[in-house]
Amino acid sequence: MFWSDILEFFRQGFSSGLEIVAIPVLIYFVITNTSLMLLIGVAAWGFGGQQRRKDFAGREETMTSQLLQGVSIVVPSYNEEAVIVTSVQAMLSLEYPRHEVIVVDDGSTDGMFDKLLAAFDLVRVEREIPSDLPTRGAIIDVHIPRNGRTRLVVVRKENTGKTDSVSVGINAAVEPLVVCVDADSILDPSALIVVTKPFADDPIRVVATGGVIRAANGCKVVAGRIVEVNLDKHWIVRIQAVEYLRAFLFGRAGWSGFGALILISGAFAVFRRDILVEVGGLDPDSIGEDFEIVMRIHRFMIDNHRDYRVQFVAEPVSWTEVPVSAKVLRVQRKRWHRGMWETLWKYRGMLFNPRYGRIGLVALPYFWLFEMIAPLLELIGLVTIALGLLLGVTSANYVLMFMAVAYGYAILVTLFALAMEELTFHKYTRWSELGALLVASVLENIGYRQATAWWRLEGWWASLRGKEQVWGTMTRQGFND
Amino acid sequence: MSAGRLLPITLAVVGILCLLAIAAIVIAKIHRRRAGDKSRYLLSAYRNELLAIASDEDEEGEAKEVLNAVPMPIWERLRPSVIAFLPKVRGTAAEDLSELLRSRGEIKRATKMLTSRSGVGRARGAYLLGLVRNRDLAALLIPLLADRNADVRLVAARSLGVIGATPAADGILRALRTTRGRMGLPAWVAVDSLLGMGVEIAPAIELGLTSDDAAVRNVCAQVAGHGTIFSAAPQLSILLATATEAEVRVSAAMALGRVGGANEAVALARYTNSSEVAELRRTCAIALGDLGRQESMDTLVALLGDDDRRLAQLAADSLIQFGEVGSAKLATVAVGSSPSARAARGAIDLAKLRGQITADTSNS
Repeated sequence: MFWSDILEFFRQGFSSGLEIVAIPVLIYFVITNTSLMLLIGVAAWGFGGQQRRKDFAGREETMTSQLLQGVSIVVPSYNEEAVIVTSVQAMLSLEYPRHEVIVVDDGSTDGMFDKLLAAFDLVRVEREIPSDLPTRGAIIDVHIPRNGRTRLVVVRKENTGKTDSVSVGINAAVEPLVVCVDADSILDPSALIVVTKPFADDPIRVVATGGVIRAANGCKVVAGRIVEVNLDKHWIVRIQAVEYLRAFLFGRAGWSGFGALILISGAFAVFRRDILVEVGGLDPDSIGEDFEIVMRIHRFMIDNHRDYRVQFVAEPVSWTEVPVSAKVLRVQRKRWHRGMWETLWKYRGMLFNPRYGRIGLVALPYFWLFEMIAPLLELIGLVTIALGLLLGVTSANYVLMFMAVAYGYAILVTLFALAMEELTFHKYTRWSELGALLVASVLENIGYRQATAWWRLEGWWASLRGKEQVWGTMTRQGFND
Repeated sequence: MSAGRLLPITLAVVGILCLLAIAAIVIAKIHRRRAGDKSRYLLSAYRNELLAIASDEDEEGEAKEVLNAVPMPIWERLRPSVIAFLPKVRGTAAEDLSELLRSRGEIKRATKMLTSRSGVGRARGAYLLGLVRNRDLAALLIPLLADRNADVRLVAARSLGVIGATPAADGILRALRTTRGRMGLPAWVAVDSLLGMGVEIAPAIELGLTSDDAAVRNVCAQVAGHGTIFSAAPQLSILLATATEAEVRVSAAMALGRVGGANEAVALARYTNSSEVAELRRTCAIALGDLGRQESMDTLVALLGDDDRRLAQLAADSLIQFGEVGSAKLATVAVGSSPSARAARGAIDLAKLRGQITADTSNS
């Protein structure tokens, strides 16, 4: 009798609580997805203008402009023996009037350097690397091609990690703009022109731009170039392709359009070198160093009353292999969320601070509310629903309806992003691919979404416990070169 | 309203919107494919003629005649291809394509489009008039530099630059200004357009160097340098000394490297001082190399031992630019293990690889 009373009391309490929280939770879902929809709308508005301007955009003129600033492409590399030569060749042959490639060999233990040495006929030179940014690993030597003309510099250093390698690359860079790319990233031939155009448009104000990253899995790659865009056969990749479109392409383009872009992907970002040096470069202790550096730039520029812009360039220009296994995906998502938490916490002083304008009043609150704590709320919601069913206080019908509304709206947002993609870039040309993307936008909500929410919480928890940061290894499948 | 009653309504709305989104995706795909297929089919019959004109192989004018006679619906689809070829070709091919557009009434149409209510229409009109490079049309384009639509201003500026319309220089500089927080004309467009107008715009550039808008001053400094407007040197020196924006000072220093003389070399040497910002010091070192005045060599040699090692490298590279005399100077410093010696050896190594100096020069 006693236990059944307690259970009944608990059930009553839970039922009342559920009545109270059901509507707010639903509203949270609606606001989250509506805000995403709005961002996609802002992005679509911008893309629409771009499409209309295509006829008279003057891409050819941009190529020959005297105002295009030189670019140093920094490629931090560790044991990239399999891809490095093709990758460097592709980067050297990018369409751009003035660019150099700086490969920073982070103490590789495979034959990566030998491959570079043979392929580019490298010779050792007595070239000092300036110490504009603090670095940790000692530099072993510097090599350049024997002809002295091919703009490739290979810097060998002790193994101290990716971020430190990027800092060494920035120190070695001689051009005013610096692009950081992974050795296995595939850039479109016009990538540099596209992503540096904002610097040419407004050289005084633009300090950083970010490019779009798309999933390269399944694409046909020849000599380090994407020659045919295909959708991979693995559903986990297809779902990520849809996710990248929604969150990375349209989400970031929307923030950029709104003038409050706080996150650009480190896999393909361009910075003014002098600004990077002024703010102290990438933080080697941060696991979300790309987010952290953009936040630091925002704070620095606003604190110093400098007029500046951080822009996102939506044209598809950079392709990268996304995780094919749940194990690798888990490591990646843990790292991303941990990086987000640590950065948001580090810059919490900017939150709701009117001094930081849209960044402090809109973008940061949004990231806290709808990116940072979203997985926590989602999982609490799922546990509550399960408890409700278990205690018999909610009917299965009600639960199904609730879930259908919540996830249905998320699917609608993804479909909206797919529609925008179809109207603008339409990179996936086959009907079968379109069908797969539509199915993936539904499947994303069945298992994938919940799993990634859990992994993100794991990353957050690991940070709160002060667990050591681990980058993890991205197991590459390789491209069909 | 309770959650129980709200949910079915919301679900129905979401479901309908999802179906509409899918329908939009499918319709967009079908429409694009059909339009593409139709264009390809219609254009295939005329591809050879178009290629013949664009590759300057239509000596008898037969291809032009054929294209002149194509029915209007086909011409409508052919027009974008003709226009797309124009910026890529020069000489007779460009003239033939322009003539074809003129005879099809496109120039008249483009002129009318300049007063269109649609911004896209006005921009397209201005773009086409620029492509045909007709100076008589410049007067029609200049007012568009003050258009309310940014795209129209941009295209008009580019077209005026291609035409080489010097009276448009002032208008282009005005269009550069940031108004109400909105960026003016993209800087690269302004620079390219102004460079297309030649040295006749020197007075406008000199005046622009005194503008209160940093973007205008920066562009004028770039144009003065790239366009070798020597008369702008005194104004550039003032800009280098007084501008509050580091970027503008850097542009002024770079320009002085191209148009400066003995006085400017002294000024540039002064701004390699360690109290200046790194970017300016480095640019001044490059500019001293560009100027190549021998009295600057001692300044550059002194910089070889600077704590800013990038500056030291640039100073060494600049000395290489002086030719034999600079290389010989470097060779005298290149002995030992001092920072100066390392910078000198690095520059000599690189110059040897590039074939800029021989082993003899560097040993002398």
